[in-house]
Formats: sequence, structure tokens, C-alpha cells
Amino acid sequence: MNEEFKNISRRHFLYESAVGLGAFALGSLTGCNLSTSAKKLVDGVLDPMAPKAPHFPGRAKRVIYLHMAGAPSQFELFDYKPELAKLNNQPCPPSLLEGKRFAFIRGTPKLLGPQANFMQRGQSGNYVSDYLPHFSQVVDEVSFLKGVHTDQFNHAPAQLFVHTGSPRLGRPSIGSWATYGLGSENKNLPGFVVLTSGGNTPDAGKSVWGSGFLPSVYQGVQCRSEGDPVLFLSDPEGIDRELKKKTIDAINDVNRQHFKEYNDPETLTRIAQYEMAFRMQISVPEVMDINNEPDYIHQLYGTTPGQASFANNCLLARKLVEKDVRFVQLFDWGWDSHGTSSDGAIDIGLRNKCREIDRAMTALLLDLKQRGLLEETLVVWGGEFGRTPMQENRENKNNPFLGRDHHVEAFTMWMAGGGIKKGVSWGETDEIGYYPINGKVSVHDVQATILNQLGFDHEKLTYQFQGRPFRLTDVSGKVINEIVS
Amino acid sequence: MSIMRIPFGIRTHFFKSLLVGSVVLSISILAGCKNEKIDFSSQVKPIINKHCISCHGGVKRSANFSLLFRKEALDTVESGKPAIIPFDAKHSEMIRRLTLTNPEERMPYKEEPLTKEEIDILKKWIDQGAEWGDHWAYVPPKPITIPDESIALASMGGSSTSEESPIDYFVQEKLADMQMDPSPRADKETLLRRVYLDITGLPPNADQVRKFMEDESENAYAAVVDELLASPSYGEKWASWWLDLARYSDTKGYERDVGRTIWRYRDWVIKALNDDMPFDQFTIEQLAGDLLPNPTDDQLIATAFHRNTMNNDEGGTEDEEYRVAALLERVGTTWEVWQSTTMACVQCHTHPYDPFVHEEFYQSMAFFNNTRDEDTHGEHPNLRMYRKEDSSKVEAIRNWVLKNEDQESAFAVTRFLKTLEPKYHPHDFDEFINGELIDTKWLGIRNGGSARLRQINLTDKDYVLLNHTTGSVGGVVEIRLDKFNGELVGKANLVKTQKGRVALPVRLKPTTGAHDLYFIFKNPSINSLHPVSNVEWFAFRSDLPGKDKPGYDNMEQDFFSLLQAPVDNTPIMIENGPEQRRTTHVFERGNWLVPEKEVQPETPASLNPFPENLAHDRLGFAYWLLDPQNPLTSRVIVNRIWEQLFGYGIVESLEDFGTQGAKPTHPELLDWMALQMMNEYSWSLKELIREIVMSDTYCQDSRMTAASFEADPTNRWLARGPRVRLSAEQVRDQALAVSGLLSDKMYGKSVMPYQPEGIWNTVYNNEDWEMSEGEDQFRRSVYIYSKRTSPYPSMIMFDGSSREVCVSRRIRTNTPLQALVTLNDSSFVVASRSFAERMLKSADNPQDQIRNGYAALVIRDMPQEKLEVVYDFYKESLENYSTHQDEAEKLMVSKNATPEEAAMTTVAQVLLNLDEVIMKE
Repeated sequence: MNEEFKNISRRHFLYESAVGLGAFALGSLTGCNLSTSAKKLVDGVLDPMAPKAPHFPGRAKRVIYLHMAGAPSQFELFDYKPELAKLNNQPCPPSLLEGKRFAFIRGTPKLLGPQANFMQRGQSGNYVSDYLPHFSQVVDEVSFLKGVHTDQFNHAPAQLFVHTGSPRLGRPSIGSWATYGLGSENKNLPGFVVLTSGGNTPDAGKSVWGSGFLPSVYQGVQCRSEGDPVLFLSDPEGIDRELKKKTIDAINDVNRQHFKEYNDPETLTRIAQYEMAFRMQISVPEVMDINNEPDYIHQLYGTTPGQASFANNCLLARKLVEKDVRFVQLFDWGWDSHGTSSDGAIDIGLRNKCREIDRAMTALLLDLKQRGLLEETLVVWGGEFGRTPMQENRENKNNPFLGRDHHVEAFTMWMAGGGIKKGVSWGETDEIGYYPINGKVSVHDVQATILNQLGFDHEKLTYQFQGRPFRLTDVSGKVINEIVS
Repeated sequence: MSIMRIPFGIRTHFFKSLLVGSVVLSISILAGCKNEKIDFSSQVKPIINKHCISCHGGVKRSANFSLLFRKEALDTVESGKPAIIPFDAKHSEMIRRLTLTNPEERMPYKEEPLTKEEIDILKKWIDQGAEWGDHWAYVPPKPITIPDESIALASMGGSSTSEESPIDYFVQEKLADMQMDPSPRADKETLLRRVYLDITGLPPNADQVRKFMEDESENAYAAVVDELLASPSYGEKWASWWLDLARYSDTKGYERDVGRTIWRYRDWVIKALNDDMPFDQFTIEQLAGDLLPNPTDDQLIATAFHRNTMNNDEGGTEDEEYRVAALLERVGTTWEVWQSTTMACVQCHTHPYDPFVHEEFYQSMAFFNNTRDEDTHGEHPNLRMYRKEDSSKVEAIRNWVLKNEDQESAFAVTRFLKTLEPKYHPHDFDEFINGELIDTKWLGIRNGGSARLRQINLTDKDYVLLNHTTGSVGGVVEIRLDKFNGELVGKANLVKTQKGRVALPVRLKPTTGAHDLYFIFKNPSINSLHPVSNVEWFAFRSDLPGKDKPGYDNMEQDFFSLLQAPVDNTPIMIENGPEQRRTTHVFERGNWLVPEKEVQPETPASLNPFPENLAHDRLGFAYWLLDPQNPLTSRVIVNRIWEQLFGYGIVESLEDFGTQGAKPTHPELLDWMALQMMNEYSWSLKELIREIVMSDTYCQDSRMTAASFEADPTNRWLARGPRVRLSAEQVRDQALAVSGLLSDKMYGKSVMPYQPEGIWNTVYNNEDWEMSEGEDQFRRSVYIYSKRTSPYPSMIMFDGSSREVCVSRRIRTNTPLQALVTLNDSSFVVASRSFAERMLKSADNPQDQIRNGYAALVIRDMPQEKLEVVYDFYKESLENYSTHQDEAEKLMVSKNATPEEAAMTTVAQVLLNLDEVIMKE
């Protein structure tokens, strides 16, 4: 089969590529050999997943994005507020409540001091609480953003906002933009892989890794720890590999004959996609299998093969970026600490959730570093908003456990690797952690920074839709240069 | 053409500069202009859109200069110098600034300068009077002369057995211009499969093939087309297309994404399509069925079109925020579906490219802003479908009221029984004391607490219904007038409820006028942290008339029992009464929290005027869309149908006919069909489809050659027939049909065919994918349960819509994941087994069995070369299963499986995965 043509896809691209490239295509369809440069041109334009150069050389080649769905409390993890401890149980000043909208807080709530103990860690002296003992070791690898703000205070829209740049449905997710812009270096694995843990998909559903108006080749492919790692990946019972190979060969042989009659390049694309499907059936289970990892790696991450855990997903993320998967998106569900139950208590459930992620996310950074991958892999950690410095008083009465409501004004994220400064903390909140007092950055700024690290001017990575160029950062966004090395 | 249709004409007479301009213009026309006339839309507007409009347009007006409308462009700019002086490019500041060398002053600022050619066009255009042209899509289609028939007839080679269609003349004329030759007519088999798939979504069965192949009469094809259009499968196929636009789904969306019962709307669409309901009526019923006089239940169900918006059940969400979100979405969707206009752009600012100003979005929104739905958990208002015996009670009550009062009251009582409207929701309350909205949804007041409902007109109100539930004994509700300790006008015991909510009537003391009502809840016996009761809604009612008449007591009893009767709900639209009317405001930069000036319902100035005899409500809006002077509706629907049949629209951007959208490849053809649609077909979709599929253009062979592919890779000029991948629904339905599994059961609750474990993991949801039983596993794909946050995997992988937003066109992709679906998805394996069984029964040797399988899928005889490939594969497969009987048993899920059956099943897999099977040819 024509190797040159195994990657042609989507007639839309053909259309956009105009007649000139159509001619190239036909040249090789009829058996002529393409020159290397022509092949590159054809691949680049006709294969939506062919590797593409960004606007400028990017510091990061890939991204691992760890999203704590439900929104972790910055007050118990990174944003140390000794003053808030002193004001514990004092009524919240009315000036902080006027004109504000909360999901559940009503009337005048009381301030809630931090429930964790803080210490300065590493050379940088950045604060990390005792909820995250392992993470304290790698504090010098990361840049904290302490003054991130959003304008969405319900989970689903806020998650959409963080991942698609818009709180409403229909826009492509960051991973889709990244693969749209850069293509994929690995032809046997999807370019954008999603892994979930915590027992639920994120509140906003699968749209947070959807491709919106971009072609669906760019949507995230969910890889699962139970059942087929990718849907419909395993052969039906009673069909072995060899027979499957013969099946695909027969399909493709007939298709090749059919192509001679109809001359539609779409047929060649289908031939190529069936071959890739066959390769994926081998390469995906391989990369998704952590059984063969050495013991010290399992100990490092705290992994148990066969579980759908955040730890397993961190190890998988490393394996995937090692294979040049462009964007790996992790969602861990269960961070919504309202204090309505012990699982959602700031001093109980949150501490347990931290135990679930602490060792693994630390291991991920250490492991990427020891393999020399961290330099070119951007790791991002965060939630969809922050939590209030006040104790939640749902329906105007104190919740049974210690909990915090959704807070849009300020929350903490961190980034590491991929050209991000080490041991930096950018942005600062006021004494009770309500508002940023400097270094305030928006969700769009964070997105602009991620794209910047990949080599994109976020204002220029656009897609024409409904008569105008759309972009991830909508009409705003500014690269946070203070954390870029 | 009405006067208002010339937006830049009459209005601009008021402006001095223009007045001068038009006088000079008329002189220049009289004098005759030898220079070639510059066309604004095709020559000037693209330059403006590319280089100027982002700073001088709808979004920004740098230096107070905008090029969106002529009026604005000729207005005084910041510098005081006129940017454009008609007939005088030399003194026009715009031209000077474009040609400067100083980078600080030269326009476009800090961007590449315009080319000489571009500047020349602009100069010439100004010298010719700087006329603004109307974009083609905003001018109604004018009667078209059909191109010379002789060209077309000659080029079609006289092989036609169909009726000659003017469509062909238009297409042929273009092809002749481009020196392209049309293709011959497709062979009978290919054409039969094509038209079956296009009209019914299914391939023909053996009998249907035989019948057609044996019919050698001239109208054999026409007869098939008519038969297919009359088949119930037609509605099922085309419903999928409309349901994408309607963003129909069986769940509410957002975080919890729980189920919603709105499948009656899907059935309504199928029935309406099968009945060939004219598109004008189809439009009116969906946008405003509730406003028709005495609407039928079906007409109310049609309004569920706009109840397909999402509903947010997440705890802590404000109903008004998501009511507004749904409302904004309805405006954008309505404009996209009927006008292919990107009105959603105008939510935040004046349209950057097209003639729609910020305010006009909100004027459109004002038409839709007075419906009763308010993002409530119960999705009110719902149409309550009663059981049969209860329906007759509703009818009896209606007749009672008609007899004892009047038509209007009878209508109001029926409406209440059927929709529970008008009513109030807990979010209408304020001034909460010792109480709150439970999960921001239901009214939960604790012992001694209260909440206020403002300005309720109590004149003629005899009681208020509280739809509530309480698990405790001893609760009491008091209603007091105008203050917490005001006059007691109503009081009732809150009897412990058994199952679900109960509509409890609280008698009211006769009171006139509008008052604030304080609802005070008491129950000292319960935990002080628990609410006394959980109330979902409140409705203020008058007693039935005829209190003194015999039979009244029965009527009243029936009335209350009906409120508790078992019903099936479908969310619908109901207009607000005068007491609940909302005003509509412009939202600053689209933000609903920053309302600005109030606006009234109105349609944009740049489109057809709103007919004077119509009310400014949704019904009037629907009629306005269908007005013969509306330039878009008919073109838009024609273009959508065309795209379904050919794979691309005449305007490729189905969703955008604006100046940034694609240009029509065949503008005259589009206009001709648009006029036919309105004037000749009376908006019949079937007639339009018939016209297209009968054309020679449609019936062409779809083979390409290197030359034809190079000349037109995506077949926009139609020198060949359409060759397009099947839709997600068709891929699955075809496999079920050829394997004999497909159920022809129509309508009803959505079904859940096989789907792998663990697909649904939605938070706070507690709903499961419960696999349907029996034939429901094999229903057509249009009936598959559609969950927004977790669509059916094989649908979404073949580019189906998740139905979260309106989708005008599915972008077709070709991915390895699709191969995995058709090779490995258990549904396709099951189909392969049955298909193999049919093949085995069809002949007594494997070659013929394979041949028959191939023919069942693509109708044509299997070429020898292909047969050899598949037969060789069969032999290898047979050898494999002969030596591995256990594998055969696994594949066939049967202890008695033979190697032949297993091998033929793998052959069935090969056939179902062929490119020519996944494609329509």
C-alpha cells in the first residue's frame, strides 16, 4: 500500500488544501513516487494528526494536566494564612459578602481557619501543608500561582471554563487545541488521552475533553483501567490476532481494488485507519499495562496494577508521554469539601484525598525528571475554582462538618517542567486569602501560558468557525511571564 | 420588495452627506458610467472584513470610525475629517491613511499594508459613490430564469429516465463554464442503494431490489422515489437530521445530567416528517404551538423544540442564571436553524461583520423571554398526559366550566389541569426567616420561619395550592397579608404526606388587589433544624363555577384528584400571563447581571419588516420568519436538504450565510429552489427532496478520475454523483437491516441497546444504562437513548452529535476508532453472526453465499477479483476454526457452532467493514 497515503484524512482538509495539493495526492495515487518534500507537504496538510511546527520553538513538547475535580481547598494545601487562623469562628465582614454570589453560603457565615499545619519547604521556602508530606520534596521544581481567579462558581460551567475557555458547551478543550496545533508524534496511540479516577467522570461530563467545533479527530480518547483500555479495543472472543490481521488484510485488499475503480482518496484513508486500528490494538494495551514496571516504580508511585486510581493514572501518564502522546489529561473526582459529610470535610475527607494524590504526583515529577522528560513536559495541577475562607452555612445553618463553599476570587494552581521556573511562587492573596493582592491571573492567562510553553501565540492559534476565528482564550488571556524561565 | 428592505436606502436619506451622494449618484447613472462597476459585496466587503473591520466595525470603533454600515462610515470620525467622501477618493481620509509611508499613521495600524490592487478597488469604489451593497443572503431571492435547456439536455447524453429537472440546467451551465463534463447516470443498483439510504436511511431488501430491477418502465425510478417518500422509515431517517438542529436529548445536561422525558417530541418530529407537514407549519408549531388558538396536545409537544435546552440541577445554582442561559441559547439556536445567521455573536456586541447591532439580539430575545420555564428541577411547565379515564374527567370539567362560565375560563381550567400553569416557584420568594431553598430548589422553612411572595393579585382567588411533601405530623402554614404579623388570610394543617408531593389547597379570605404574602410555617414538635415542609410550587386559583349547581361537588373532587393523577410529563413552552411578564433588557457585554436599557420584541432592521398585522410575540416571530419577503428561511432549509443529499451545501457553511460564511456555488439554483419551495411546493419537504433526487445531477455515477478529483476534490460543482460516508445512524442501521435484526417498531421511550460497562459515571445521578430487552435492542438508532454528557459510543465515534448544542452539520471524519467500532463493538459482532446465518441459508456453496452477502449490502454483483480475496479469506478462516473448534464456539456463543458458521461470520465482518459499504456511492 502507498505509505504516503496512509495518513490522508478528512475531505475537508483536502478541500482546504485546494487543487494544488489534490494534484500531489493523485500523483501518488497513480503510482508515482513523491519526493520527500512533497510527501511532507502532503502529510502536513492532509493528515490532521501529522506533526506540525508551532509558532515558535516551544519549551514543552507535551502536557500532563492534573485536574482535581470538585476544587481542592487552597487553604489546607498551599495558601498559608496565619491571620485566618486567628480569626477562626469570627463572623465574616459584611464588606466581603455584599454583591457576592455563592453556591450555598447564606446570610453571614463565620471565618474558618486553616485545618492543616504549614511549613516552609525546600530551598525556595514555599509553604506546603502537612496534608502533602511527599510533595514537600519537589516543591523546588514547581511554580505556584496563588492568585488564579475565575468567574464561574458552579462545577460544570467552571470546569468547562478551565478546559475550553468558555463556561458554555461547544468549544474545543485545551488538549484538542494542542493536538490541532501540533499533531501527534506517535502514530500508534491517540494524541490526546484522558484518564479519570475517583469513581466519577468530572461534573461537566465528557465535554471537558471534547473537540467542540474542531474535527472530532482532536477529541480526547478516554483510556480506562477496567474493561477495554480504549472502547472496542479488544477483539471479539473467538477471533485471535492472526485472524484479525487476515480480516483487516482482506478488507484492505478489497478496498484497494475498489479504489482502482472509484479513485476516491477517502478509500485510501480508510485503509490506513484500519491498519492503525490494528496497531493500536497492540500498542494501547502495552502502554496501559503497568504490570511490567519494576517494583521501585510501584513503590515510588504507590501503584497497584488493576485499580482505577489516581496513582495508576500518574504512572500511565508518564508512560504515555514517554511514547510521545501530546496531551495527557487526568481528572480525579472527589474534591468538593463542603462539609456536608465526612468525605466532604476539610479535616477528614480532604486529608484522605490528599493522601491519594500526594505520593503519586510527587513520584510523577521525580520520575519524569530522572528520565529527562520533565524538561520538555509541562505538568499542570489545579481545580476549577477555590474555596471560601468561610465555613459553609448551607441553608443558613452550620454544616455538620468543617467545609468551605465555592470561591471564585482566588485559588492556587501549580505548574512544573516544560520551561516553567523552579521554586517560584507568583501571586499573593490578602490576609484571609479572599482576594489576590498581587499577581492576579485569570483562567485565560493560565491557558495562554500553557499554549505559550507549547510554542503558540494564544491569540494566533485559531480556528475559523461561524464566520470568525475562535481561540481557546476567547478575547483575553496574557502569558504569565513571571513563571516562565 | 418593501421599502424597509433597503436598509441603507430610505433611512440614509436623512443624512445630509448621503442626500448629496444620491443626487450625484442619479446624475452619474443618467450620464452613463463607462468604468466597470465595483461590486461592494464581492470586491469591497472582503477587503474590509480582512483588513479593517476588527478595529472599525461592530466590536471596536477605533477613532469613532466604523465600516459596518454606510451611515456609520460616512459619519464624522474623531479627527473631524470625513473618512469617506463619496465620488472623491482623492480627498477621502481613508485612502490617504492607507497609502501613507509613516508607520505610525499608515493603516492598517501595525499590520501589512493593503496591496495596490486592493487600494485601487477601494479608490474606484469611492469614486463611484461608495455605495453599500447588500450581502446576497439579505436580499430576497428574485425570480430566476432557468438556463438554456438545450445545453443541459445535450450534455446529459439523453440517458435520462427521470423527469428533467431545472436543477440540471443550473448545474450544467456551471459545468460548461468550468469546462467540466458531467458523469453518466449511475447503474441501476448503485442508484437504488443511494436513494434508499438517502430517503429511508436503510438499504433496500432483496424483494425491493428485485422489483426495481425487473421494472423496465420509464418511471421505475420515480415509482421507487414515491414509495420511499411514503414509507414510515423516511420520517425516522430525516428525524435524526432535525434532532441535531433541535439538540434533542433524553437528559437535562450539566453536572447531574439526569433523564428527561421528552421523547414525545422526537415522535412528533417523525410523525410530522412522515405526514409531510409543510415546513411553515412545522416551524410555527415548534416555535409557538402554544400560542395558536386552542392548541392540540401535539402542537404543545411541538414546542418542546425549545425545551431541549439544558436544565441545571447542580446544587447551588441559581435558577434565573440558567433560565437566562437557556434563553440566550434559544435565540442563538433559532437564528442558526432558520436563518443561518450567527446571532450568538451579537449577544456581547454588535456583529463584527454582518448588519446586526447589539440591541437587536435582545430585541430577538424579547420574543422568547416570556415563557413559564424557569430552570426548575421539575422542568415546569410540562404537558401532563393523563390516562384515558382521567382524560375524560378533564374533558368533563372543561364542559362544566364552558356551560357555567365561558370559553376563556374553560380554556384556563384545562390549561391548568394539563400544565399546572400559571404557578409560582420557590425561587420567586424572598425575605427568608429561618428557612431557605433546600438544595437551592424547594422551599424549606423551619418552625416559626417565613418567606415572602411579592405582589400577588388576590382578586377572585379562592385558594392557593401548595404542592408539598412533609414527613412529620402537626405542621401548619399561615398566610399573612403585607407583613410578617399582618392579617391572617389563610391557614391550613400540613398533613403528613404519604408518597410524593400533594397539592394542598389553602382557602383564602376574600381579598382584592395585589399584596405581598408572608408564608409562615410552624411545627414545634420537630427538630429545629428541619424544615416543616418541602414545597415545590404555589398556584392561586378560583373555585370552579356553578357552585350551586347539582354535580358541583363531584366536579370539584375530580379537579383535585386529577392534580394527583398519574401522568407522563413532557416539557413544553407556555407563555407568561400578564402578572408574570418579564421585561427584557440589553445585557452589557452579554452579561445577564448587568442589564441596561429595556427593549421590546423586534426583528433586525436589515431584514424584512415585521408584518403590521402580527402581534410581537413568538407566533408573530414565526410568521415573520416565513414571510415571503424573509430572504433567508427558504434558502436555508433548501440548503440543508441539499447538504443531506450531496454531502455539502450549496452554501458550504450551513450555519452561516453571513458575509464571513461560504459563498454559494450555485446561487441561482439556490434561489430557484428557495422560490419553488415557497411558491410551488407550499413548503413541502418531500416535494423538494423528490425534485432533487429525480434530477440527473443526483443520479450521476460517483466514480472519480484523477482529473475529476483534481478539478473538484469535494465535488462542489457536481460533475459526478455524491460519494459520502454514511452517518452514524446509517452505519448501525444498515448492519442491523442486512442481518435481519432490525426492528420496525416505531415511537416510544428511548431504548438502550448494548453498550460496554462503565460508560456512565455521572456524579449525583444514580441512573444506569439498563439494557433494553428483545427487539428494543435492535431498534433504529434514532430511538437510542441520548445522554448529553455520555453519548452512545458508536454514535459519537461516527461524528454523531452529543446534542449539547445545535449542530447544523456533522463534520465527517475517518478515524481508527471507527474501525474499532465496526470490527469489535459487540452490536456489530451480533449483527455479523446473523448476517452470516442469512448468507449461509442463501446458497449451498460458500462463493455464492459470499456473493449474496455482498449483494445484500451494495446491491451490485460482486466482481470476481473481490470475490477471490474474500473467498481466500473464508478458506483461511475456515481452516482456523476447523482446527480450533473452541474458538468457533466462542465467536458464535454456541456449543453447536460449526466452523462454517464461524468462518462466514468473519466474512460478514469483512463485508460490513468495506469502504463501499460504509460509504454511499
